[in-house]
Amino acid sequence: MSLFDKFKSTAEQYNALVAATERDPFGVSMDEIKGPTRAIVKGKEIVLAGTNNYLGMTFNKDAVDAAKIAIDEAGTGTTGSRFANGTYAAHRKLENDLAEFAGYKYCIVFSTGYQANLGAISALAQPPNDVILIDADCHACIYDGCQLSGAQTVRFRHNDPESLDKRLSRLDENVSGKLVCIEGMYSMFGDVAPVGEFVEVAHRHGAQLLLDEAHSFGVFGDGGRGVCERDGVLADVDFYTGTFSKSLASIGGFVMSNHPELEYLRFSSRPYMFTASPSPANIAAANAALKKIAEDASMRTSLWENANRIHAAFTQLGFELCAETSPVIAVKMANREQAFMAWNFLMDHGVYVNLAIPPGTPNATSILRLSVSAAHTNEDLDAVVGAYTALSEALAS
Amino acid sequence: MSGIQEDDDLVFRKIASLIEPLNDKGVKLTRETDMIADLEIDSVSVLDIVMDIEDSYDISIPVNTISEIKTIGELVDAIHDLKKEQS
Ligand SMILES: Cc1ncc(COP(=O)(O)O)c(C=O)c1O
Repeated sequence: MSLFDKFKSTAEQYNALVAATERDPFGVSMDEIKGPTRAIVKGKEIVLAGTNNYLGMTFNKDAVDAAKIAIDEAGTGTTGSRFANGTYAAHRKLENDLAEFAGYKYCIVFSTGYQANLGAISALAQPPNDVILIDADCHACIYDGCQLSGAQTVRFRHNDPESLDKRLSRLDENVSGKLVCIEGMYSMFGDVAPVGEFVEVAHRHGAQLLLDEAHSFGVFGDGGRGVCERDGVLADVDFYTGTFSKSLASIGGFVMSNHPELEYLRFSSRPYMFTASPSPANIAAANAALKKIAEDASMRTSLWENANRIHAAFTQLGFELCAETSPVIAVKMANREQAFMAWNFLMDHGVYVNLAIPPGTPNATSILRLSVSAAHTNEDLDAVVGAYTALSEALAS
Repeated sequence: MSGIQEDDDLVFRKIASLIEPLNDKGVKLTRETDMIADLEIDSVSVLDIVMDIEDSYDISIPVNTISEIKTIGELVDAIHDLKKEQS
């Protein structure tokens, strides 16, 4: 018996699948980055269609320049945590700018989006009397936040406010705080939550709502403020979490709220207090990207045009898609083996997407997850559609 | 051969019938069957089975409880306890 025994069966399964294809889908290394939508992998240029670079700002000139200046002026790292010795004026400024942009009163910046959810949930809910209710398809960091909190956690059916309603009704009177956690757009299928209905159900039962807009910030809503803006309930969301690692093209995370008590997290949230703050370059890049989102809606327009084009093309090719049009377009595969084969086929045809297999996917499905970027050119999208056309022919034969 | 052990407990029979479609290896389902080690059902699928059970019995089974459960018998016992508590 050893510590490693527990990995054996998963490792065997994984190795067999990788051996049957030429590449390891979870070990792709981008040898050279040519831009937001292109990279060189093993000497071959491929189109990147499996990122979270929705607005395509990883090479935005203002963001790149701001990051360079920040390094010159403030150094490469803060060497300290937000709580103790790693809060610079730039962290505070970004908190203010995010709050102002989204229309919340308070904002706290964390080192990643993972830590923002972990930190908010674990600090807000405490055993034995608080209860957390989470959508079954929530991201790992929401599950981990529940575990770190130790509070009783109940799952409800994905995107099903009635299922939440039932579970809230069943709670007994001894329960004190109730925290409901959902996401705006879900990362694997690209499906979107009925946020307005969830707000109504949660508040009717005296619960508070945490909404993770990691994938929808900058993407949904007239001002890019997320699904809650689109649904007209932004001001009703109790805790709005997000990340810099997708549309803001950097690294870091945040929690926003209109509750003044949010500030208590600064001395009670361990994932805020005990890890180094984002580096000056990360903060400067995120702040520049935020400014661009606030001032310029054209990236969002291009993103949705590109998403519509791909969704329509895949529908026409007869692929089974997991959701309505959104910047994440997931194609359902028959099983793991077919998904591995198809993923490899697309790489051979110069297109990188994400292979996602159970247990990381909802309903034990195997999918090819494609994400569209505002930076995708017509040429990029032609290559994507070409590769999927060839794939549909290969699957049919 | 696969099959479900005789048992007059309705909760056991309900759970076994929900698990049977995922029992690819054709293991005989008893109270001692370990859902993850014996049946190789992944942890997320166990949570999904529990969701069906919750809706059938109109109870909520916290994730914290499920993570400590390994065998079908332990799940049956947990449901009996919760049914008493939540009714
Ligand atoms: C829904 C959701 N929340 C949070 C995160 C974590 O974000 P970050 O990369 O900033 O840790 C992710 C990204 O993986 C995500 O998909």
